[in-house]
Amino acid sequence: MKTLIYSFAFSLLFISTYPTNAAAKKVIDLAEEQAPKNSTITILDAYLKLKNALSTDNAQNAATAGNELVKAFKDFDQSKLTPAQRKTYTDIESDAKEHAEHIGLNAGKIAHQREHFDMLSKDIYDIAKLLGAGRGIYVDRCPMYNKGKGAIWLSEVKDIKNPYFGKAMSTCGSIKETLH
Amino acid sequence: MIIVAVQFYSPVQNKDLSAMSDHISKVVTIPDQVNGILKKACYDCHSNNTSYPWYAQIQPVNWYLNKHIKAAKAQLNFDNFKHYSTRRQLSKLRAIENSVEEGTMPIASYTLIHKNAVLSKSEKKLVMAWAAASRDSLEQIPF
Repeated sequence: MKTLIYSFAFSLLFISTYPTNAAAKKVIDLAEEQAPKNSTITILDAYLKLKNALSTDNAQNAATAGNELVKAFKDFDQSKLTPAQRKTYTDIESDAKEHAEHIGLNAGKIAHQREHFDMLSKDIYDIAKLLGAGRGIYVDRCPMYNKGKGAIWLSEVKDIKNPYFGKAMSTCGSIKETLH
Repeated sequence: MIIVAVQFYSPVQNKDLSAMSDHISKVVTIPDQVNGILKKACYDCHSNNTSYPWYAQIQPVNWYLNKHIKAAKAQLNFDNFKHYSTRRQLSKLRAIENSVEEGTMPIASYTLIHKNAVLSKSEKKLVMAWAAASRDSLEQIPF
């Protein structure tokens, strides 16, 4: 009898976790719905997708990511920014969007996509500095790209996976800064 | 019959003879030689003043040309350059350097007709050097 009661009580523990998990899931969904639409997360996600496509020499995926980035800019809610932030942001965004558009239009020409990625990365860096990255980000620099003038990119991982040279010189570069 | 009818669709003109206070020369120095190259190879599409050939008055040629000119000016307009943010100016100077190097500019459909717009090797080098130097003079590099 005792065993029965104990095993019954024990099993109740497991049953009681189900509603907790469901409730937890509801909270997470609600939180995601209410996540500030002016967060830079969607912009950064699309950018990182693009970066990863270029590091693996995939021009098609890079073009897709470029178009996603254009959409992320369109969806970004500027009304939540302060007037000063907004002024700076629109300056950066208009340039960054052009680069993202060009990348989207050049699926067959990875070299051309990379040229735009150089300037785009500076723009995204400035946006992340202005509004916060919303996540841990490494700022990497490759000293060789653009005839030795060098170029930066943002990465979500510590490992260097060079988007400018792809597999040809994947480890060229070093971390210069971390953002949050 | 359509070709006759369509001539009544008034030709659009990309012409503006007012003084260009936002011209790129107000932002960066342009040596005479470079200016000459830009004028003969770039300005017909990338400025507020196109030198139209006689056949440009005929439709649908006029429509086709102006479609190109409109798109070109949206990408880069030397007469409006000062109006761009510094960031965009830097991007455009880089784009000039890259596209001249790659030969994507001046565009093939233009150089087909305008043989004088075809850039020689030395002309390309000159424009690229000018674009790179101009960019350096404008840039404040954090890295």
